[in-house]
Amino acid sequence: MTTTEPAPGDAPENEIFVDGADWEDVVDAVVDDTITVNMGPQHPSTHGVLRLVLELDGETVLRVKPVVGYLHTGIEKNAEYRTWVQGTTFFTRMDYLAPLHNELAFCLGTERLLGIEVPERAQVIRVIMTEFNRIASHLVWLATGGMELGSTTMMTAGFREREHILDLFESQSGLRMNHAYIRPGGLAIDVTDDFVQRCEALLELLPKKIVEYEDLLLRNPIWNDRLRGIGIIDAERCYALGVTGPLLRAAGVPYDLRKAQPYSGIERFDFDVPTETAGDSFARFLVRIEEMRQSMRIIRQALDVLPGGPVMVEDREIAWPSQQALGPDGIGNDPEYIRHIMGESMESLINHFKLVTQGFTVPAGQVYEAIESPRGELGYAITSTGTNKPYRVHVREPSFVNLQAADEMSTGLMVSDIVVVVASLDPVMGGVDR
Amino acid sequence: MGLESKLPNGILLTNVEKMVNYTRSTSLWPATFGLACCAIEMMTTGAPRHDMARFGMEVFRASPRQADLMIVAGRVSNKMAPVLRRIYDQMSDPKWVLSMGVCATSGGMFNNYALVQGVDHVVPVDMYVPGCPPRPEMLLDGILKLHEKIKHETFAEQRAKA
Amino acid sequence: MSDGQTTNVPDAGHGLSGVAMSLEAIERQVQTRFPSLATDIAFGELTVHATPETLVDLLQYCRDDQQLSCEMLADLSGVHWPAGEHIIERQTSTTGWPEYRVSRERGVVEVLYVLRSMTRNHWFRVSVGTDDEEPRLPSVVDIYPTANFHEREVYDFFGVEFDGHPDLTRILMPDDWVGHPHRKDYPLGGVDIPYKNDKYIPPPHERNLREVIR
Repeated sequence: MTTTEPAPGDAPENEIFVDGADWEDVVDAVVDDTITVNMGPQHPSTHGVLRLVLELDGETVLRVKPVVGYLHTGIEKNAEYRTWVQGTTFFTRMDYLAPLHNELAFCLGTERLLGIEVPERAQVIRVIMTEFNRIASHLVWLATGGMELGSTTMMTAGFREREHILDLFESQSGLRMNHAYIRPGGLAIDVTDDFVQRCEALLELLPKKIVEYEDLLLRNPIWNDRLRGIGIIDAERCYALGVTGPLLRAAGVPYDLRKAQPYSGIERFDFDVPTETAGDSFARFLVRIEEMRQSMRIIRQALDVLPGGPVMVEDREIAWPSQQALGPDGIGNDPEYIRHIMGESMESLINHFKLVTQGFTVPAGQVYEAIESPRGELGYAITSTGTNKPYRVHVREPSFVNLQAADEMSTGLMVSDIVVVVASLDPVMGGVDR
Repeated sequence: MGLESKLPNGILLTNVEKMVNYTRSTSLWPATFGLACCAIEMMTTGAPRHDMARFGMEVFRASPRQADLMIVAGRVSNKMAPVLRRIYDQMSDPKWVLSMGVCATSGGMFNNYALVQGVDHVVPVDMYVPGCPPRPEMLLDGILKLHEKIKHETFAEQRAKA
Repeated sequence: MSDGQTTNVPDAGHGLSGVAMSLEAIERQVQTRFPSLATDIAFGELTVHATPETLVDLLQYCRDDQQLSCEMLADLSGVHWPAGEHIIERQTSTTGWPEYRVSRERGVVEVLYVLRSMTRNHWFRVSVGTDDEEPRLPSVVDIYPTANFHEREVYDFFGVEFDGHPDLTRILMPDDWVGHPHRKDYPLGGVDIPYKNDKYIPPPHERNLREVIR
């Protein structure tokens, strides 16, 4: 190998010719050089359209710069042009793995501005549905995380069980994803008669399956080797970087907004906040698995206390007068009410149109409502000026904030570990980019 | 009678176009190209319950060079559009594009500054699947219709497209 | 099965190591240290109205003070109030909003910081306004590193220049984008959806990719 002295203006100064000499010499000659590698936005293991710019020294990662925005949808701006009820249809599409959490946070904020109390039945159903959503979201995390590490079995298993949860959602809201089920003031539709039965069937099935995942992964040497000690972040840095959710709990902080700022009556139910101390990717895996169990504990208790009564506030300024039921076509319908407005009462028809097209007005003010989504603190900063549309809604997305930790977590690791770090962060790009 | 009555057993008559189109349609390899909510449903379509492998499509290729079908699953932002076009250009001919969901098809409910109002602004689309997001069954239906379309495409049409 | 340990956190209303301060107590404490700042409590939330000059000192104080101990910046967002008349229902009586927020003479970009104490389990909001013609605020990245992405987002959407930010570039929009989309003077965009039969809808190849219909 020769590193030629370049003549001025001849070749770039750092040009190196490799002609079969010892590799060590080559490395010595380029010792100061770092390589910048682009990863994404179209990459099979970056969880959607995340782009990472890696600065590498050989195989070692020096810096990771996440580049986001490839899925920016302008949802926050769009919501300013729609009524409050229509807002839920937009926010549910934000973090598409936790649609019900997005709806719930937005509705809780709106309800606080309105100063209304949601019926107890609606609150309990909200808790049941969001906790099932948490399990579904963690299942997708297991599935995609497993797939990215080469465990295709985990991918098929995770999606298999998620289907059962989506069946429940579909039977209650009419949609598999992006439900717009939770509305300001309560729920869109009351649950069906077989709701409790369906939930209990799921509670029967899921614990067995979680044991299956643990059998598959907990002592799996590849899973252990690739996850243990990878992507470590401690509690101090979590605070500084605003990291919340399973990442914070895996770093040993038992902080969960369901405990700290209980919402929707969740404080009535008894559950634990799982924590680990290692702060690595394996700890996050354990925390998420345990969280699924705790969610099931909450659901079981909630099913026991599920009260009767309405699922929407009585206030006719806010609630639609129709009592819709889900038809076989997946669309809510109320033939009795339609007969009433079309055949009997012109005033009811006018009222119906005003309520649906114009919506209700919300008192002026600002609120910040945060709930615990599967990825951490999901906050809605809502500004109202007293009209029928939000003036501004900003969403504090846990994926967006947690992604900042990717740099610190991957410094000094190998390139292949980046995949593990990103998978354990569990960013949903729809939430990051909004 | 014609030629076919004189053929020995085990000989079928067809034309090259049909033969090639048949093979192309029955093992389409989609590129791994998930964008938003629809990508989750696309993955579900590949997962056990709906099982895209039944149609010879379970191999999602990570490299666009090895793929001949791009399923645009989700909303295409203005920032993503050039990337999407580049991936499309990297795919080798013949190639097809399936626009999955209303956001990819027309911008859907997000009629705003951030999104390309329909991926057909950027790449030619062969099949549109409606829905927000489409159910896996709808995607499968769209894919089967695309198979049908490929089977009846002439070489001249394909050349004109490329 | 899991070898993880589970811990029960304290009862609702308690932080990791201490009881939450009441909003009034936080208000008193902030006003003792910063007497010039206005505060208001509405919808069960406390807002401290800072000025660009006091912002960094206030946040530093809130983070380091033993009582407040706001170790996390939970959220940072912007709201644009353009100049002119704002129709706000029952304005000051219900909202208690200060004058700057809805000034008729000059537009304001309001930036909201949500400070959260996990150890004490309380939170409050710091609000600061800056002129929308040339919005400029000091960066708080040195105090809260998490503000990095948030400030880039506010810069991207509202054009607020954060002095001292290490890498103030667009984060969600493309780098060469013109304008700051979440300002109220920026149109929603998209393409016109004609509901009339006679309206000509241009085919994709005749449309500009980034056309914005005003």
